[in-house]
Amino acid sequence: MAVATVALEARPILTVEGLTVALPQGADRPLAVDNVSLDLRRGEILCIVGESGSGKSALSGAIMGAPAPGLKVVGGSVRLGEQELTRLSERAWCRIRGRRIAMIFQEPMASLNPVITVGAQIMEVFELHARMSPAERRERALALIRSMQLPEPERIAASYPHQLSGGQCQRVIIAMALAMNPEVLIADEPTTALDVTTQAQVLKLIRELRALNDHAILFITHDFGVVAEIADRIAVMRHGRIVEIGEARHVLTQPEHPYTRELLAAVPSLVPPAIDEQAVVVTPDSSKTVLAVSGLSKSYGPVRAVNEISFDLQRGTTLSIVGESGCGKSSLARLIVRLAEPTGGRVEVNGGCFLSLRGRELRASCRAVQMIFQDPFGSLNPLRTVGAVIERAAVLAGADRRTARARAAELLDRVGLPKEALDRRPAAFSGGQKQRIGIARALAMSPDVLIADESLSALDASSQAQILDLLRKLQSELGLAILLITHDLRVAAQISHRIAVMQGGRIVEIGPAEQVINSPQHPYTRELLESAPGRGLV
Amino acid sequence: MSVRYAWLKSLARPTAAIGALLVVGWLLVALLSRVLAPHDPLHSMIPLMTPGARGPDGAVFWLGTDALGRDVLSRLIFGARTVVVVATAATLTAYAVGISTGLLAGYFRGRVDTALSFFANVILSFPVLVLYIVIIVALGASAANVVLAVTFGSAPAIFRIVRAITIDLRSRDFIAAAITQGESTWRILLVEILPNSSGALIVDFCLRLGYSAITMGVLGFLGLGLPPPTPDWGGMVNEGRTMAFAFPHLVLFPCLALSSLVLGLSLLADGLRQSAGRMRRVG
Amino acid sequence: MASVSGYTSLPGWLLRRVAGMVLTMLTVSFLVFAVLELNIDDVAVKVLGQFSTVDQRQAWLQENGYNAPFLLRYLRWLGEFITGHWGTSTYYREDVLTLILPRLGASGILAGAALLAIVPVGLLMGIIAGVREGSAVDRLVSVFAIVTTSIPEFASAVFLTALFVFWLGWLPGVSTMADGFHLRELILPVSVLTLYSAGYIARMTRSSMVDVMQSPYIRTARLKGNSMRRVILHHALRNALITPVTVIMLQIPWLLSGVIVVEVFFAYQGFGTLLYQAALNTDIDLIEACTMVSVAVVVFTQVGSDLLYAWLNPRMSLRALGRSSGVR
Repeated sequence: MAVATVALEARPILTVEGLTVALPQGADRPLAVDNVSLDLRRGEILCIVGESGSGKSALSGAIMGAPAPGLKVVGGSVRLGEQELTRLSERAWCRIRGRRIAMIFQEPMASLNPVITVGAQIMEVFELHARMSPAERRERALALIRSMQLPEPERIAASYPHQLSGGQCQRVIIAMALAMNPEVLIADEPTTALDVTTQAQVLKLIRELRALNDHAILFITHDFGVVAEIADRIAVMRHGRIVEIGEARHVLTQPEHPYTRELLAAVPSLVPPAIDEQAVVVTPDSSKTVLAVSGLSKSYGPVRAVNEISFDLQRGTTLSIVGESGCGKSSLARLIVRLAEPTGGRVEVNGGCFLSLRGRELRASCRAVQMIFQDPFGSLNPLRTVGAVIERAAVLAGADRRTARARAAELLDRVGLPKEALDRRPAAFSGGQKQRIGIARALAMSPDVLIADESLSALDASSQAQILDLLRKLQSELGLAILLITHDLRVAAQISHRIAVMQGGRIVEIGPAEQVINSPQHPYTRELLESAPGRGLV
Repeated sequence: MSVRYAWLKSLARPTAAIGALLVVGWLLVALLSRVLAPHDPLHSMIPLMTPGARGPDGAVFWLGTDALGRDVLSRLIFGARTVVVVATAATLTAYAVGISTGLLAGYFRGRVDTALSFFANVILSFPVLVLYIVIIVALGASAANVVLAVTFGSAPAIFRIVRAITIDLRSRDFIAAAITQGESTWRILLVEILPNSSGALIVDFCLRLGYSAITMGVLGFLGLGLPPPTPDWGGMVNEGRTMAFAFPHLVLFPCLALSSLVLGLSLLADGLRQSAGRMRRVG
Repeated sequence: MASVSGYTSLPGWLLRRVAGMVLTMLTVSFLVFAVLELNIDDVAVKVLGQFSTVDQRQAWLQENGYNAPFLLRYLRWLGEFITGHWGTSTYYREDVLTLILPRLGASGILAGAALLAIVPVGLLMGIIAGVREGSAVDRLVSVFAIVTTSIPEFASAVFLTALFVFWLGWLPGVSTMADGFHLRELILPVSVLTLYSAGYIARMTRSSMVDVMQSPYIRTARLKGNSMRRVILHHALRNALITPVTVIMLQIPWLLSGVIVVEVFFAYQGFGTLLYQAALNTDIDLIEACTMVSVAVVVFTQVGSDLLYAWLNPRMSLRALGRSSGVR
C-alpha cells in the first residue's frame, strides 16, 4: 500500500477546475469530460479509475493541451502552480511539455519512433529543454537508463524500439518523461499492455522514482488491482464526470457512490470461493475424463513453443491454464482444436484418439471440442446475422434447417440474449454481448469441452463478471468441461476447480485452485502471485 | 445503418456524385448508341469538316468529320459502346482469374502459393505496355486478343490484392471458428472470406475498368488495337495525329471522351473508398 | 502457420534474390520465345515478305534451322542471347545490340529528366497534403492527383500540345532532336510523364504521411515538447518517406511503358519508338531483345527497391524480407 514518505505540501501543484471537453457531432454523448475538478500535490499519486469510454484518456489529453483529434476544450481551467494552462500558445506549451509536465502511455513500443535509436530519443529531451554539449547529453542519457534499472545501458541506447521488450520500452519512455525532473507526471494506462510480472516491476519503479524526486503523479487505469497497489487518492470517473474522489483506503473499503461499489464488486477476487460455494452439481459421471492430453508438443524449428504438456479434464469441471504472454498457452489451445498440428503427443477426447482424425472424420467429430475466442470484434463475421451464424453451427452438428432455427433461438435465450438478436449483425452488440454470441455458437454443437482462449481479456470488469457467471451456470446446467486460458490469476481463481501454471512451454505447477493460490509450490507461481497488484486489498 | 444505405450516402459527396454522373452518362451513351448517333459511323461523307459545319443536305456535323469523311460525333458515340463492352469484358475476366487464384493462394499458402505467386511475379516483371505489345504482335489485333491482353495485364495485380486480403482474413477468429466447427473449405472461401473482401474489390473494380479503358486507348493509339474500321477512341487519335495541327478536333474529342470516362470511374472509386473507410472505423 | 525463414544474412538473402531473378528471366525468355516463334510459318512470312513462295519459305526455314524441335530452337536462341548475339533487325537491317544501346541511352535521358521532376513535385505535394489533412490544400492535391492519373499519356500529350504548340506556339511539337540536342524539345515529353507519375506519388506520400501523423510515437514526440515543425521534420518524415521512396523506384518500370507512348507521340528517337517500329513490322529479333531488356530493368529495380526499403526501415529484418520477397 502506498504510504507517502514525504510530507505533502499544502498547496497543490496541479489544479483542475470545471474542465469540460466536447466530443464531435454524432458521438453517443455531447461531452467527453464534464465539469471535472481535482487537485494534485507533489509527492502524491492520484489514480483515476473508470471503464472504457469514461473520459479518463480525454481528460489527460486535455490537461496536456493536446486533446485527441475531434475533441475540444470548451470550459474550465487547468493551473500548473501559478500558471494557467488553458489558452496557452503552442509555443509556450513547447516549453512546458516534457519539462514541467510529462506523460507516459499505454503501448510502449508503438510510442517510440521506430527508426531512431532509443538513446537518441532520450537525448532529444535534453536537446529541447537543456543547454548541454552532445557529450553531456549522452552521459545523462546513459545515467538515466541505468537509473531505470536497465542493464547494459550502452547496448540499450544503441537499440531500436523493436529490439527491446515491452517492459524495456516502457522504462525508456519513463526515462524520457522524467529526464527533466518534471513536477507532474501523467501516466495513461502505462502497465495495461504489460505482463503481470513486468507490471509489478514498473509499478515498483514508479513508486521509487516518486519517493526520490517528489513527482506529482496522475495515474489513469481501469484495473482496481493496480489502483490498490499504488494509489494515495482515488477518483472514479463515469460518463465524463467524477462520481467519487477521496483517500485510497477509504474509497476501497467504504465506497460511497453506488457506481464505485458496483465496480469494486465486479473485480474478481484472488481468493477462490470455497468449494461448497461453487454451484457445481455433482453428476454421477463427473469423474469421467473428457479430455486427456499427454506429451503434447509443438516446435517451430529450434523453438519449442509447447513442450510435453500433459493434463486431463473431467466432465463438469474447469481447468485454467495461467501464464504470461509467450508461454505457449494459446498455441496449446489451438493444438487441441486442431487449428495447428502438433509435432508430438496425444490428445484423447471421450476416450478416442483425436489427433489421428482427418478430413470428413474430423469434421464429424470436431463438435466435441469447441472454442470461444479472445477478440469479440474478430470472432464474428461482420456480414452475417447472429441467427445465420448459430443456425449454421447447428446444421454442421447434424440438425436440419427447421430444428436449427429453433435451436438458435433457444441458445440465445440460454446465454441471456433476446430473440430479436437473431436478425441483427454483430456490429449492433457490445463486447460482452458478442462473447455471449460466440458462446451460443459453440454450444450449438453440444460440445463436451469448451475452450475459452483469453475470452475475458478484452472485456470490462463488469462484463467479465457477467460472462464468468454465465460460464458457471452453463457448466452446472450442461455438465460442460471448461478449459480456460488466461493471464489473469483473479479470473482463474474465481472459476477454476484446478489451475495449471505455464511457463516457457511447460506446465510448472498444476493442482486444485485453492492449493495453487494459497500454497504455491513452484517459484514462478509464487512470483506470479506476488506480482498480482492489489493483493490483499481487493 | 445498413450497408446499402451507406453506399448511397457516399454518393452524396460532390466528387463521387460527379464521378457517378459521368459513368452513368457514358453507359447510357453506349447503350443508346444506335439511337443517339446522327450518322452511320462507318459511312464516308465529306472529309475534314470543322465542328459545327453544315453538310449540303443540311445535316450538322457537330464535331466535324475525319479524313475519310466519317462523322466524328457518331464515331465517338459508337466508340463508347466499344470501350464499355470490351473494357467490362476484359475486367470481368481478369477478376475471375485473379479472385480464384488469389483465394487459393491466400488460403492454402505453401506450394500452391509459391507457384501462383511466382507466375504473378513473372507477368508483373513486364512493363505493362511491353506485355500488351508482345501479346498483340504474337496473336494479332482483335477484340478477343485485347481482352486477353488486359486479362494478362490485370490479373496478377488483382491476384495480389485478393491474396493479401485472404491472408489477413484467414487469421481472424471467425475463420478459426468456422474451421473448428467443421465447415467445408469451399463455404469458408465463398461465404466467409469473399464477401468480406467486397469493399476493397469493388473500389478496385471501378479503378480497373478505367485502366482497361486506358489500355484500349493506348493500344489504339499505337495502331495495335481493334482493327479498322471499328470506331475506337485510341484509333481515332492515331488516325488524326498527322493532321492535328490543322484539324485539332480529330484528336481532341476522343481524348476528352476517354479522359472523362476514366475520370468518372476514378472519382467514383475514390468516393466508394472513402465511405468504406468511414464504415470500417465505425464498425 | 508462417514458417520461419532461415535467411538472416545479407549475402544469403541476396543470393536467393538473384536466383529468383534468374529464374524469372528464364521463364520470361521462354514465354516470349514461345509466343513469338512457335508458329514457324508466320516467321518465314514475316522475314521474307508476303509475296514469297512456299518453296522459298521452306528453303529459308531449313537454312536457318527452323525445322528443329521447338525446345532445341529455344535453347539455341537462349545461348546466343546470353552471349550477346541478339540477332538482326529485319526492319532496320542492323545488328540488334548496336541498335538498342544508343536508343536505351536516349530513353534513359528522358526517363531521368522525368524522375528529376516527378520526385520533388510528387513528394512535396504529398507531404503538404498529408500534414494538413482535411484542409483545402489536401482536397486540391487529391483532386489533382485523381485527374492526372485518369488522363492517359497520349491524351495529356494531345492536350499539352494543343495548348503549348498549337495555341500558344511556345514549344516545338516534335522532339526528333534532328539537329543536335535541344532542351526545349524535352519539355513536353517530360511534362507528360511527370503529370501522371507526380499525381500518383503525391497520393502515396499523402496517405503515408497521414498514417504516420496519427501514430502514437508522433504523439510522444509532441508531448516531449517538440514544436510541430520539429515533429514533422525530425520524426514524421523519416517514417513517412520510407514507402514513397521505394514506390518511386518502382516508377521506373512504369516509366518504361509511359516512355513508349510519349516517344511515339513526339517522335523522339528512343527505346520506345524502337519497340514500336519493331511491333508494327513484326521484327521478331528486335522485339525479343527489347522485351528481355525491359524485363531486366524491371527485375533489377524490384530488387533494388527491396534493398532500399530494408536499409531505410530498421524494423525490417532481412528474415522478414526473405519471407516476403518470394511473394511480393
